[in-house]
Amino acid sequence: MKRNLYILALVATVLVSCNQEPTLQKYYVENSDSKEFITLDIAPNIINTDSLELSADEKKALESLHKFNVLIYKADSIDKSKYTAEKEKVKNLLKTDQYEELMKVNSADGGFSISTKGEGEHIEEFVVFAHQQESGFGVVRVLGEDMTPTNVMTIAGLLQKANLDMKQLKPLQEMMQKK
Amino acid sequence: MKKLIIALFVLMPALIFAQSPFDKFDGRDGVTAVIVNKKMFQLMGEVKMDPKDKDAQQYLNLIKKLDNLRVFTTSSSKTMAEMKSTVTSYLKNNPLEELMRINDSGRNIRIYVKTGAKASQVRELLMFMEGSGKEESVLMSLTGNFDLSEISVLTDKMNLPGGMELNKAAKKS
Repeated sequence: MKRNLYILALVATVLVSCNQEPTLQKYYVENSDSKEFITLDIAPNIINTDSLELSADEKKALESLHKFNVLIYKADSIDKSKYTAEKEKVKNLLKTDQYEELMKVNSADGGFSISTKGEGEHIEEFVVFAHQQESGFGVVRVLGEDMTPTNVMTIAGLLQKANLDMKQLKPLQEMMQKK
Repeated sequence: MKKLIIALFVLMPALIFAQSPFDKFDGRDGVTAVIVNKKMFQLMGEVKMDPKDKDAQQYLNLIKKLDNLRVFTTSSSKTMAEMKSTVTSYLKNNPLEELMRINDSGRNIRIYVKTGAKASQVRELLMFMEGSGKEESVLMSLTGNFDLSEISVLTDKMNLPGGMELNKAAKKS
């Protein structure tokens, strides 16, 4: 019996360590060519700080930021069921893929949630997931290294001061125009 | 034996993610739900603020003591009734003290607390504002380990529903 238990434990470890489960990263890749989806990568230099004199703290905060990954699904008025299915997929990914949910707001016609990955306050990834029945949903992954809450607040402050490099958002603008 | 192990595996998620009986209202039609988890409070508590700003420091100290905040609002009469019965059965299974009961122009507000070692130490705060007709029902549950007197800091900063009533309740005790 004891041996059986060992084997079971071993199998469990193997199952956990070679993770075949779908991840959010895979979801991005899989859907990047799909018509309904728009994916884009945004570099942190979208926050144009050339005109600003940065303090040491601000520099450090910016350095902790590596990139933004954006995925947007346009809701098709014809196919509500697909929207729901894709939305559920993302929701499940956020539950299974080692994310910790910080908070969520849900109401009748939409909502959003914020999740993170990382240990303690050393956050590697933020995921903001927003959905609205009429327009679709969007997932923004903020990837970085050691993004502490203080750094995040500093960046939020910088966003208000700095100019945004709009060229990087062009695919988004094009999508809006097409609509 | 095998069955037991399987059962353990099946139960594991339920044991790890302690579910609140109120979570079933999340995602319902006609329900607005706001859920803030412990990690969020932890992270918020890590933000460095001006150490001279006493209000901010007080706020940060309190934030670190919070575990979970759940607020559910609904105006659908069916869900309202279900909310009420869920609260009633929850109170039966978890003995919470009634802190205050207010009847404000037909609107019933009840505030319950689960106290810790000291009488003013709160482990759980439950507020149920029963709506009728056009008024919405609001259910709020806040868990953690904080002092009742600190509630006013929270209601001031976080714009919680029923802030005024909570303030009154905190002062009374």
